[in-house]
Amino acid sequence: MSKQINVALIGNPNTGKTSVFNQLTGLNQKVGNYPGITVEKKEGICKLPRGVRAHIIDLPGTYSLNTTSLDESVAVELLLNKNDKDHPDVALVISDVENLKRNLLLFTQIKDLKIPAILVINMADRMARKGISIDIPLLEEKLNARIALVSTRKGLGIEQLKELIADYKSLSKTPNVDTTVIDPEYFDKLKKTFPKEDIYKLWLVITQDVNFMPIEKKLIKDASSFSTKTKSELKRLQQKETILRYQFINGILKETYKVDRNAAKGFRATLDKILTHKVFGYLIFFIILLTIFQAIYGWSEYPMDMIDGFFASATEWVKDTLPPGVFTNLIAEGVLAGIGGIVIFIPQIAFLFLFISLLEETGYMSRVVFLMDRIMRPFGLSGKSVVPLISGTACAIPAVMATRTIENWKERLITILVTPFTTCSARLPVYLIIIALVIPEGNFLGLSFKALTLMLLYILGFVAAIVSAMALNKILKIKSRSFFVIELPNYKLPLLKNVGYTVLEKTKSFVFGAGKIILAISIILWFLGSNGFSDDFNNAESIIEKRVSQEGYSTYSETYIKNNLEQYRASLVDSGMYPNVIQDSIQTMESTLEGRALNQEIASYKLEHSYMGYMGKAIEPVVEPLGYDWKIGIAVLTSFAAREVFVGTLATIYSVGNDEEETIKNRMAAEVNPVTKEPLFNLASGISLLLFYAFAMQCMSTLAIVKRETNSWKWPTFQLVFMSLFAYIIALIAYQILK
Amino acid sequence: MEIVQHILVYITLLISVGYLAYKFVLPKRLFSVGKKSSKACGQDDCGCH
Repeated sequence: MSKQINVALIGNPNTGKTSVFNQLTGLNQKVGNYPGITVEKKEGICKLPRGVRAHIIDLPGTYSLNTTSLDESVAVELLLNKNDKDHPDVALVISDVENLKRNLLLFTQIKDLKIPAILVINMADRMARKGISIDIPLLEEKLNARIALVSTRKGLGIEQLKELIADYKSLSKTPNVDTTVIDPEYFDKLKKTFPKEDIYKLWLVITQDVNFMPIEKKLIKDASSFSTKTKSELKRLQQKETILRYQFINGILKETYKVDRNAAKGFRATLDKILTHKVFGYLIFFIILLTIFQAIYGWSEYPMDMIDGFFASATEWVKDTLPPGVFTNLIAEGVLAGIGGIVIFIPQIAFLFLFISLLEETGYMSRVVFLMDRIMRPFGLSGKSVVPLISGTACAIPAVMATRTIENWKERLITILVTPFTTCSARLPVYLIIIALVIPEGNFLGLSFKALTLMLLYILGFVAAIVSAMALNKILKIKSRSFFVIELPNYKLPLLKNVGYTVLEKTKSFVFGAGKIILAISIILWFLGSNGFSDDFNNAESIIEKRVSQEGYSTYSETYIKNNLEQYRASLVDSGMYPNVIQDSIQTMESTLEGRALNQEIASYKLEHSYMGYMGKAIEPVVEPLGYDWKIGIAVLTSFAAREVFVGTLATIYSVGNDEEETIKNRMAAEVNPVTKEPLFNLASGISLLLFYAFAMQCMSTLAIVKRETNSWKWPTFQLVFMSLFAYIIALIAYQILK
Repeated sequence: MEIVQHILVYITLLISVGYLAYKFVLPKRLFSVGKKSSKACGQDDCGCH
């Protein structure tokens, strides 16, 4: 059996750590979370020479072992805890060839922990262009370590790196810097108190500084008992340590690292000037955003249609192939509808992450974050909140996950809480159908009222997010240090492999994370809508058949039969058939349509008397002041699972055999309020519904993600209650004014 | 055959309800009995004691 070793990838952000990880592991990788916390954990397997297998862990990016964020503390905890099953046998410290000095700070710290370490100098392909030359043998001698010069972009040096990892036993464990010289007296005391412990490890445990998240810090708490210095004294010592390390690094690099400034080109500075310009910067960002959204909606349309078609065919196939019965119905109407409801969003999510990943890979996203910080700060948000707010227009789930990059806990929490206000793609079908029903035809400045309403709803979402952020900033009494440090990485052409992996990972995370919850809820909703305890439910067939034989079909069914029959007749006439054949075909079609109409009426009646129907009736008094009837009440109630369920529920309630919006629209337009005798969907109830959907927290999956990201039920509960109450009040005011 | 279909529906429903309960209601520690946390420090040479 081959030997397996743990290899940790550690390095500063933007050094190409993930690229090295991808090169080493290929597709043998998985993404999860560190136990108990929401920091992403990427691990994979790499086969090394001489039959050695490496379990590779991609640790979160960190500038040093003096942590300031949750992500960084995870990396440090793993390096400190020898008993952790992932504790590395060897650490690969990835550094960027252009920022070697800064990267070596981390390297010397890891070396001082006596963990066998290899310095991986990445982006070697840029050396010639940037006029950089490195004396590798001399640098290896000075650092007492092995170095791999690699270019993940060109795939160079990876085999040499694998050789070095396989040969990990020969790596030196000698420390680089003697930290005790910064305060000999203090370190002497420590040594005497804990003679068996490694002194630098103790020092790191004492000085950990993660101030914004209740993480598992037992290690640190235990060690803090022997801290005899105040926080500020420890900080000063940390600074002394950093200076000491840089003195050591400067001395080495003076002899080994040369940059020919004349050879370096100033393209980056020029581009930065334009992209972070006070006017052009915003303009360019706005144009890029417009392009992205246009592309997301435009390009997603075709795959979404294909997925829709596929699930429609699959449903038909299941109904035709499996023996008729309740379980077949569950698979066709519950399971397949549930899976379809998840899978249909894959194209939009994949495209969104494709663009975000491209912007990140090129280095542009850091410029956007820098640019937006000055705008967002007065609202209690950070420049880094822009990415989640933008992602939220596709789906709040990945958007909430994207807040992980925000170091400040208060800013991160506020971003998580307000992101669901942005108009996500699941709201779109609801908006489209209601707008089509209640907004009149007409134009304003060349834009139709309907298009303007849709645009206003998007703006309303952003305004609600920003205003709520401002209010939360004042209300939330969370103490956290607010600082904004961002590195502007070099511009580079995106590596398609990295982009591909990101898109794949994020999409998988959506489908298998939120998807399971949506599927489970769909199954329960199907059950509640397909079962009932009353005689009305159990005898629906005979009741409706009797009613149809006595009173005929309902007005809607009659119109449905008539319209379809006329269309069919016209198509037969156009095809040039003989009149007698046409007559026969029409008669066959008529009986088919009558059968369908009867089934639809039975389904509608059953739904009304199902568990779900009773639930709808029960909530009718609550939704009536908003201008809704029990049917809309059910749709609103079910869409608390996911907003897009609204259209599907209405399609079932209104007895439509398929869920084409135009058909549902006609049926909804024909609905009459039994009290006022006016159309149920009028301007007042329509606007009320639009506003309700704009503000209400109707997404179980988002709540689940918020719970996961905040490690508590407190915040998702607050979000659900606050947003739903706010939505209710706004919708109530709108209806009462407009009715 | 119909009874089998009904049984399958109830099994699926139970799995769905159970899954949601497992995900959102039941405390996670109920499912971690006997599992040793990867962060547990069993020895005294890890630097945390």
